Amino acid sequence: MKSILKFAFQLGAKISLNADFIVEKGGRYFLLNKALLKIARKDFYYAGTYLGKVKNGKFFPSFNLLMMLAKGEANKIVVEKKAAWLFICGRDVFRKGIVTLRGSRRKGDHTLVLNEFGACLGFGKIVSRLDGAAKETEVAVKNVLDVGDFLRREA
Amino acid sequence: MSGKEFFVSRYKQLGWDFEDVQPRQAIRINVANAKGKNVKGRLHAIGVQLETIPFLETGYWVRSSKVSVGATAEYLLGFYSIQEAAAQIPATLFTSLKGRTVLDACAAPGGKTVQLADLMENTGVLVALDVNKRRLAALSNHLERCHVSSAVVYNLDARQASRLNLKFDRILLDVPCSGNFVGEKDWFKRRTLVDVKRNAKLQREILTEATACLRDDGEIVYSTCSLEPEENEVNIDWAVKHLDLQIEEVNCHGGKGLTEVFGNRLDISVERCRRIWPAETQGFFVCKLKKQVSKL
Repeated sequence: MKSILKFAFQLGAKISLNADFIVEKGGRYFLLNKALLKIARKDFYYAGTYLGKVKNGKFFPSFNLLMMLAKGEANKIVVEKKAAWLFICGRDVFRKGIVTLRGSRRKGDHTLVLNEFGACLGFGKIVSRLDGAAKETEVAVKNVLDVGDFLRREA
Repeated sequence: MSGKEFFVSRYKQLGWDFEDVQPRQAIRINVANAKGKNVKGRLHAIGVQLETIPFLETGYWVRSSKVSVGATAEYLLGFYSIQEAAAQIPATLFTSLKGRTVLDACAAPGGKTVQLADLMENTGVLVALDVNKRRLAALSNHLERCHVSSAVVYNLDARQASRLNLKFDRILLDVPCSGNFVGEKDWFKRRTLVDVKRNAKLQREILTEATACLRDDGEIVYSTCSLEPEENEVNIDWAVKHLDLQIEEVNCHGGKGLTEVFGNRLDISVERCRRIWPAETQGFFVCKLKKQVSKL
């Protein structure tokens, strides 16, 4: 639970989760609804909404969690079509690919990456200045996790 | 008791002349996720041409595509799933899934599980089982990608479903089967009648367990992608006679179930099943079962 809140904080986001509905299983966190809580046995493999996992002390968010965070206030960049495609292919975001910015522009902070339709494609780390002074061809946001991961997992 | 000639001659006896069929790629829109997203328009814009599947509400054939439909942003965001056309039928045969306790007894890799969750509008409880732990990873990825929030997954053999101590309103039995030549290269070289009979026995065991977990007014939908009657009509005839199940009328794509199989007469109600010989889709079999009214 702490790791989820800490992760949200890194993205400039706040999330309100009821600890009674969160179940940890082997380092993986799941958000269950009332009906599931009532019937789910301890030996489940997956349940409700997967939030992410802690491995070697590091938190790896799920896309469900990123989507939840993207709905509220958080560091976000909206990228244009080509940059969105490259991002889900695992590539970083160049300054010129960013259409709009919300929240932190500080180097070292994390930001969600959204496509032109407002869907969250993943998140990255800001590696250069995101203001007007930055070079257009400079990597601005380094890819940390993108939805293309669904394909890589099964490869 | 194997080989192409053997199986093709069986199909001929059952009334179907063998023809080679190329599988057509199909997608199913995940309505809950895709609401207001204009998925068809977005796919069209990136060069994916879709064609409505006439017997499905949310299914489309991929007529042509400039991109891999399994690697678009829309796919990765869970707006649609890749699911063979006939395989989209079983989940649609249940009545009123919303708010129900539903079992998907042989769930991996999860195409039908996600479809059930979509039809349930993420309400109620969806219990998904699979005996093969390695396949649960694919199932979980599918659930995460499509933002399913009402499912619980167990690594459990469908034949042990009563260990969950739950009674289900709806049970999907998309049972392990011998498959068919459309979906599997060298199918005729790999399968024998012994395999078919082994699968048929396993399917009866799963049917028996599912019946024990079904509420008195509940529904079972049984399906296979096998063309072999032992796994289909013969098993359902057995279920009618031994498990006190009755076959419900369904209004879906496919021809009537066979009531005479290699000289043996089956219960006349077996014709309420639907048998789909390969043509526009792969081969498929589906039926809907309920407990017999007199036994309630």
